[in-house]
Amino acid sequence: MENIGSNSILNSPKYKAVAYGMLFIVCLLLPKIITNMYYLGIINYIILYTILCMGLNLILGYAGLLSFGHAAFYGLGGYTTAILIKRYGFSFLPCPLLSGVVALLFGILLGLPTRKVRGDYFCLLTIAFGEIFRLVAQAWIGFTNGAMGIVGIPIPSILGWSIRTEADFYYLGLILLAFTYITISLLIHSRFGRAFIAIREDELAASVMGINTAIYKIIVFAIGCFYAGLAGSYLAVYQTTVTPSNFRLEESCLMIIMVIVGGMGSLLAPVAGGIVMTLATEYFRSISEYRMLIIGVIMVAVLLYRPQGIFGTSAFKD
Amino acid sequence: MFLDVLFIGIMIGAIYTLVTIGYSMVYSILKLMNFAHGDVYIFGTFICYTLLGKYHINPFLAILVAAVMGGILASLVEIIAYRRLRSEQHRMISMITALGAAYVIQNCNELEWGNQVLDFPSILSAHTFHFFGMNIPLTQIIILSIAVGLIILFTVFLKYHPYGKAILCVSEDIPTASLMGIPINKTISMVYFIGGMLGVFGGILYSTSYNAVSLSMGFRGTIIAFTAAVIGGIGSLSGALVGGMFLGICENFIGVYVSTSYRDPITFLLLIIVLLVKPTGIMGAVEQSKV
Amino acid sequence: MSLLTAKTIQKKFGGVIALNDVSLTVDKGEIVGMIGPNGSGKTTFINNLSGLYAPTKGQFIFNDEDITGLPAHVITGKGISRTFQNLRVFPNITVLENILIGLHCRIDTSLWDVYARFLKTRRVEHQAKKKAMTVLELAELSDSQGILAKNLPYGKQRLLEICRAIVSDPYLLLLDEPCAGMNPVEMDDLADFIKLLQTKGITVFVIEHNMRFIMSVAQRLIVLANGSKFQEGTPTQIQNDKDVQAIYLGDEGDL
Repeated sequence: MENIGSNSILNSPKYKAVAYGMLFIVCLLLPKIITNMYYLGIINYIILYTILCMGLNLILGYAGLLSFGHAAFYGLGGYTTAILIKRYGFSFLPCPLLSGVVALLFGILLGLPTRKVRGDYFCLLTIAFGEIFRLVAQAWIGFTNGAMGIVGIPIPSILGWSIRTEADFYYLGLILLAFTYITISLLIHSRFGRAFIAIREDELAASVMGINTAIYKIIVFAIGCFYAGLAGSYLAVYQTTVTPSNFRLEESCLMIIMVIVGGMGSLLAPVAGGIVMTLATEYFRSISEYRMLIIGVIMVAVLLYRPQGIFGTSAFKD
Repeated sequence: MFLDVLFIGIMIGAIYTLVTIGYSMVYSILKLMNFAHGDVYIFGTFICYTLLGKYHINPFLAILVAAVMGGILASLVEIIAYRRLRSEQHRMISMITALGAAYVIQNCNELEWGNQVLDFPSILSAHTFHFFGMNIPLTQIIILSIAVGLIILFTVFLKYHPYGKAILCVSEDIPTASLMGIPINKTISMVYFIGGMLGVFGGILYSTSYNAVSLSMGFRGTIIAFTAAVIGGIGSLSGALVGGMFLGICENFIGVYVSTSYRDPITFLLLIIVLLVKPTGIMGAVEQSKV
Repeated sequence: MSLLTAKTIQKKFGGVIALNDVSLTVDKGEIVGMIGPNGSGKTTFINNLSGLYAPTKGQFIFNDEDITGLPAHVITGKGISRTFQNLRVFPNITVLENILIGLHCRIDTSLWDVYARFLKTRRVEHQAKKKAMTVLELAELSDSQGILAKNLPYGKQRLLEICRAIVSDPYLLLLDEPCAGMNPVEMDDLADFIKLLQTKGITVFVIEHNMRFIMSVAQRLIVLANGSKFQEGTPTQIQNDKDVQAIYLGDEGDL
């Protein structure tokens, strides 16, 4: 939702091309500049969370559906990749896509009730789904290896490029992030994106505009979940393990906070939210027993004093 | 065997009803999912645990103190985290602050009491009754009667006491109630206070019957309360009762006849099914939105 | 030739009969007004017609097609647009984006187009913007295109809502009390705008309380009372009708 004509220099195509070009070069050269593996690792987590948040932002920021189940879809992606590679000997290349598709299919399934179930009940459905996913992953030892999780996922390789170092994972993450950004940007700048916003703003008025709100809610939910699956696939090979505790409700909440802190309903805000929150978690690691306390306080404080998010547009604030 | 399971199910159901009432009341007034509810009641239960285990205070006094403290915490959460957002159009926002508040309380509980399962001291005697072939410990009977007594007490309060009537009035329509001279903020604080207190009673009874208390019971309690409220029909006393009983009995049967590790997933599955088949709950009425 | 025929429309809410056997026709190119005291069922009629409710009994025939009980978004697609009594623009997005949402059913981009044929999608979007701008120019709102809708003055928001409804080139436009809360100058502007829409070939069905406004705009009036059709005729006929005056006494002062 750019404000048309807000700043003529910033909006001129020439300036944009130069800015994007420079950003692109900086992104490519980043592992050459930052050689510290620890810092690069943090950047990789930022990328991972940004992908997750961009998907969630579609659901939460654009369509206004509150989902507490994002971590479950992230987990579905993670387990899909882990099981495909470890159990069925797949190569890594098709895995991100397949993981995304599995998450997408479950997204459609969970999205179906939005036809009948009102806002906060839907939110409860997503909580229930998230818990069912985690509990089943814990209890179904034969398939998911229970609470121990699936460990020792081998080093992935794509067409001879074996992804081994932090820098390699950085590039893999960058490719996934670019894919995420471009596809979401295409979607948002079409009639679909506007329909999502209309549903968020006023569902009844949206239906009178000719928008089939039931179908569009399913579409936006499922597509948002697709990106969670994608991120899950990345996590599986990056971390080489997936365990049920990776995908707790707490994780969903963290993503929601990231989207809120960044600002709901704007394309780049999740990046900001992802950076701020990942750095904050990293910075507060030494006092990790206060982690949830800090998250909780940030949640309440941001919404009380700046509901549009730190970098957000005015959406949701009236 | 069957009757034993049923009886315990009814007892758990009565406890769930206590926990659900506070939750359902808040929802019917503010349309807010109070995520902090479970963490508040577990806080009260922990307080009772400490008072009994460390200071060996008279059980009745300890329960009362714990309940009052739970009530105060609940109204504090309302004043700090929810009150300012009441006029906000998107209810999503207050739902998220509710979750934030839940996190803060949960973390504080964890800092004080840790996340392990603690032995809750047994207040009641372990005498067992034999009744129509059932083996029923005296504890369960006492717990059940206390829970039922509290439910009845609360129903009477809501129906006949002026404050109870004020609560009903506010839950119908806040602006109108305000025009009738009912102090809105005070009434809402009271709803939270009573809800928190009933929740703590429920938590203590639950912990007594299992001789255990743990941090994770808090969040689970929130989900249980919401599930029971939705299953029964949110916002009504009879709904809380039906939902709580239904959930308690189902859970106990699943736990005994299927497996305890699938107890929670099946509970959630039940919730999903109820939401899909009858989104307004078993006792709920159909709402027609106004254009 | 009639564009819309309503046959014995009945709507019950529980035991309450909100509409009772209302039959009427709207011809192509007309401006038809509907008046009636509060609670006479005017908005309920529009809600039934536009698909927000399904009538309990009766039929709506539009362009020789039965549209009774179809969902709202399908009815909009068939060429019936509407506005709301209590202003429902999308507040947190710009004026232009509001109009573009109104064009939703006239853009046929599929998900496949979005991802695989994005150049085509871009071209379609460009055309849509052009089309939206022509409508904004018609209503003299083009200067405010980049403003958030909620920051427009009230009268302009009303106008924006009408623009959002007509951008999809509907055959029939339903206006639900369009000048509620407007001052007399804004009302005259709105009357002129509605007549302008008529010259563009849009048929208008308007509910209004304000007699001065409805008399100046409508060519034919339908009076609703207690959910039933009470009278029908030209504005002058209705104005002089003793029975109509009787049902309005004590309710509306300016007859």
